[in-house]
Amino acid sequence: MQLNDFSNKAGEWMSGTGPESDLVISSRIRLARNLAGESFLSRADSNVRARVTTQIHEALEGLETEIGSRYSDLDELGGIDRHVLVERHLISREHAFGQGDRGVAYNANEDVAIMVNEEDHLRLQVLRSGLQLDATWETMNRVDNFLEEALDYAYDPKYGYLTVCPTNVGTGLRASIMLHLPALVMTRQVDKVFQAVTKIGLAVRGLYGEGTQALGDFYQISNQITLGKSEADILETIRSVIPQVMDYERTVRRTLLDTKRTVLEDKVWRAYGTLCTARIISSKETMEALSLVRLGINLEVLSEIDLRTVNELFVLTQPGHLQKMEGVELESIDRDIARARFIRSYLEFAE
Amino acid sequence: MSAMVCEICRESIATVHLTEIVNNTKKEIHLCEGCAQEKGVAIHSHVKNLSIPEFFGQLVESRDGASESAAPRCSGCGITYQSFRNSGKLGCPECYVAFQVEMEHLFEKIHAGAIRHRGKVPSRLDRSLRRKQELEELRTELMSAVEHEEYEHAAELRDRIHDLELEEQCS
Ligand SMILES: [Zn+2]
Ligand SMILES: [Zn+2]
Repeated sequence: MQLNDFSNKAGEWMSGTGPESDLVISSRIRLARNLAGESFLSRADSNVRARVTTQIHEALEGLETEIGSRYSDLDELGGIDRHVLVERHLISREHAFGQGDRGVAYNANEDVAIMVNEEDHLRLQVLRSGLQLDATWETMNRVDNFLEEALDYAYDPKYGYLTVCPTNVGTGLRASIMLHLPALVMTRQVDKVFQAVTKIGLAVRGLYGEGTQALGDFYQISNQITLGKSEADILETIRSVIPQVMDYERTVRRTLLDTKRTVLEDKVWRAYGTLCTARIISSKETMEALSLVRLGINLEVLSEIDLRTVNELFVLTQPGHLQKMEGVELESIDRDIARARFIRSYLEFAE
Repeated sequence: MSAMVCEICRESIATVHLTEIVNNTKKEIHLCEGCAQEKGVAIHSHVKNLSIPEFFGQLVESRDGASESAAPRCSGCGITYQSFRNSGKLGCPECYVAFQVEMEHLFEKIHAGAIRHRGKVPSRLDRSLRRKQELEELRTELMSAVEHEEYEHAAELRDRIHDLELEEQCS
């Protein structure tokens, strides 16, 4: 079985469109759901797993006609394909390299993804470009309602949706906004923002979730609390803090332009130069250069490439995507060579 | 950048950080204030002098206090509350009822004092609750119709009840 040939295309969330897309990469909402009357996966033997999978598969078949999603069995995919799915935010790293019968269903523009047998029986996700929590929730709720017609969810009137980990109980909802905050990072003010954000019960993470480094100056702000608040209230808490973070970043950007314009322009153009000319480039150096170029585009310092191209490059230059495009597993140094070549060709600087 | 999670409850943010140098390597443990206090650790005084093995020794002792075999188990999946605390994962939906007291205590810590769901109700559940309500009302109405010898109305009610009961069985 082969993954749809999408490794050189990008999902909708990378398009660089949508409200506030200069600062907000994407809006994501995830719901955790389990089936009633079955053990959680933490205690499920192969019989339970098989029963759960069968029920979910039937429900997903109905969803297929509704949103055009297709199911992939992760054990039938190779390691590179699973990396690709992680890099595209369609599955978690734990899910990619987990064990037992598990899979993912997602649609063509990749805004809806459903992980089967991750930590919970079901992890539903809607991912959109820019700041659009309402539209994202609307789709999420529709998908959830659709599946709920076919599946009996583990639900308790007092505690809400029952999840493997009590950190998700209640709504089972995790919403996160991915922001690009290069100016705050550059001026070492990003920690201040995050202290304020954590005080109101929100969490801050790097590009690929928990414990990951804030590569490329990307940060995800998400809710911690899932119980005792309605879905709308949870989204409102996040919505209320994002404008302040964005204002702060924009103010610092303006100050940088006013006071250190040439220094900033130099950084941006050097980064662009590196991307256009490098013959060997690591993932880290790529992310750093792309981040500066992205800032340069938004400040109209540079107009050689558009936001979409930069957003796509952030994902397409990850190790899984490179190896998928090359069609073989690559050692680190060969990846760095392939990456440099790919970036040059994507920016049309290939010889 | 992400905050560290307490190593005991694995839920709350760790704000108590213990450091110790053993054979030139630095060892660290990270606890939330609640767990640190619960384990009788005075945060500002003798913690810093307590070695990590001693510290965990204390934890193990207090755990052994209630022997594992006597500890109540979830009737659904058979796990004990302690085994949940060790893994951070519950075994089945019934665990929430089996360990209700402990879970509610934990919810308060994780979810800023909340123990009750205020979000979405599954639409099917919602419909089934409404159907049950309607059935009850119809049955009461039917009894009074029979009492008042309104047989035509009673027949209508009986049909409606019959339909609802069928729906209930099929859903
Ligand atoms: Zn703790
Ligand atoms: Zn259980």
